[in-house]
Amino acid sequence: MIQIKNLTKYYGKDQSLFKALDEISLDIRDGEFVVILGASGSGKSTLLNTMSGLETIDGGSISYDGLNIENMREKELTKFRKENTAFIFQQYYLLPHLNVEKNVRMGADLAGNKDILPYIKAVGLEEKRKKFPSELSGGEQQRVAIARALAKKPKVLFLDEPTGALDEKTGRSVLDYIIKLQKEQGFTMIMVTHNANIAETADRIIRMNSGKIVDSTTNNVKKTAYEIGW
Amino acid sequence: MVVSFKNSIKLFGISIMMCCAICVCNMFMNYLIDLKSVEALVDGPAGKALYDAYISTGVVCCACSGGCLSVTSLVMLFFYIKHYIDSHSKQIGILKALGYSNFKIAKSFSIFALSIFIGCLLGYLLSFAIMPMYYHMQNQTDLIPHVNINIHFELFAILVLAPTIAFGLIAIFYSVKKLNQPTVNLIKGITKTKGKNTDSKDKGNFVKEMKSSVLKSRKTLVFLIGLSSFCFSAMIQMSTSMDELASVMMGLMIFIIGVILAFTTLYIATSTVIRFNQKNIAMMRVFGYDGFSCKRAVLDCYRPAAYIGFAVGTLYQFGLLKIMVSVVFKDVANVPDYKFDWPMFFITLGAFIIIYEGIMLIYGYLMRKIPLKQIMDE
Ligand SMILES: Nc1ncnc2c1ncn2[C@@H]1O[C@H](COP(=O)(O)OP(=O)(O)O)[C@@H](O)[C@H]1O
Ligand SMILES: [Mg+2]
Repeated sequence: MIQIKNLTKYYGKDQSLFKALDEISLDIRDGEFVVILGASGSGKSTLLNTMSGLETIDGGSISYDGLNIENMREKELTKFRKENTAFIFQQYYLLPHLNVEKNVRMGADLAGNKDILPYIKAVGLEEKRKKFPSELSGGEQQRVAIARALAKKPKVLFLDEPTGALDEKTGRSVLDYIIKLQKEQGFTMIMVTHNANIAETADRIIRMNSGKIVDSTTNNVKKTAYEIGW
Repeated sequence: MVVSFKNSIKLFGISIMMCCAICVCNMFMNYLIDLKSVEALVDGPAGKALYDAYISTGVVCCACSGGCLSVTSLVMLFFYIKHYIDSHSKQIGILKALGYSNFKIAKSFSIFALSIFIGCLLGYLLSFAIMPMYYHMQNQTDLIPHVNINIHFELFAILVLAPTIAFGLIAIFYSVKKLNQPTVNLIKGITKTKGKNTDSKDKGNFVKEMKSSVLKSRKTLVFLIGLSSFCFSAMIQMSTSMDELASVMMGLMIFIIGVILAFTTLYIATSTVIRFNQKNIAMMRVFGYDGFSCKRAVLDCYRPAAYIGFAVGTLYQFGLLKIMVSVVFKDVANVPDYKFDWPMFFITLGAFIIIYEGIMLIYGYLMRKIPLKQIMDE
């Protein structure tokens, strides 16, 4: 269970001080799939990055099963990330000089996971496992990022606009992979998007505006990646 | 304009090296010219022998330090240009797509010669500050006549203008060669090394994989880091022997050049590796690798090169001094036989291990402090 209380984050200072997150409170159950929805600049990425410990915060608290991370030092945070979280970003951030297999190993090694092939198979890249990122299409690269994240066996998976750089067809297939794998493995999943259609695949939809949560609804009619509009 | 004035200033490493090189060379060459002018006044076999020894020490020192530093600067220049083209390949590719010719783009790389000019000019001026001391020391014998400082302006042309022009031209030609690749590859940022190592053996461990891929992606850096410890080892060990064979000042000078050269090269090499892998390091940190794993992944691959450089440097200085003692000083009385200086070797090795590993540890610590979010946004 993730508990966030009065989370506040500022950017800049003095004249240009800007409140990116304004006293956000939020609870997320284990195994829940939450989508954070909002226009560009509403603070979605900031929320994701602060709640996952990638960025420091200016007020409030964040706890994972009672373990508070807001005052952790970098060393403890690293350990926390190693044991609990994985990330998928819009820009993939694969390691350009390593092939698919070795990119996936980056995640797997941290979990002491020797068997990476199932993860590569799960995203349908078995044939391309010796290829380098520059030899893959955008959708394939994002699937490598998914395999890399899942091979880490995270308790919580954070995704920031994972389909943002992909065309509709590829986007749907990537989303489908993610949702299927989450169902199978049951980890907690928090996804940021500005595409309202994608939100229909989630258990819960949280809407943000100007650094505040304006609405939180439970989604009773979960759709698959192929049933939603795009 | 592809390369700005600001980029040229970033080449301060080259400036420092050229400064040292030109400072040393100008001092020796100025002295050699002045010494030559009193050749007729040297008399007696002892005077003649000392005169010859002075001339050859001057030439050896000049060629050794000047040559060494200039070659390093040249390698660094190549490295910078390659690095610049790799890291700005998108912009350059777009310029090419717009119809700019390779030569037109390459011409702007000649601004790198500015840093050479600055370095040479500073070195040239600096040498006049230490020249009186050197002349005074060389004049302390009665065997050859006193030599006075005369400023030789032709040395300005040889040591300041010529290197600037030469390096500028080299920069243009080298970058034309580097730009000569398909425009699409430049725009997509595909460098030749990326696809090549497809069948490299699987090591079954991510940090090790990373280590070998970092090593392969920037081979010049292996050379630079090897060179850095080569200079450290050779020049520091040589400096103590120089104390006995030539003079304290010569020893001190070599010591200082060695240290400057070693640290500048090491700094440039490591900071480039880190800058180049910044996104990768950030991503590793995001996943939960600690600073020291990151350090192992991107810096440890250079350790063998560093220690090999040290060993080669030791042998090099031993060989060089052995030759110098047997050739240059063969007619001069009272020159001690030159033997390998074991205590000095162990002291230098100890210092090297502490400094090198210490610097690497500091980088490991700094990597822990990398602000993750900003780097990824860049
Ligand atoms: N590093 C930063 N420095 C200053 N302002 C920032 C920084 N990062 C984000 N912001 C600002 O915070 C606001 C929220 O940004 P972000 O969380 O990235 O929005 P979203 O992901 O919803 O598009 C934006 O107005 C953005 O300009
Ligand atoms: Mg965002």
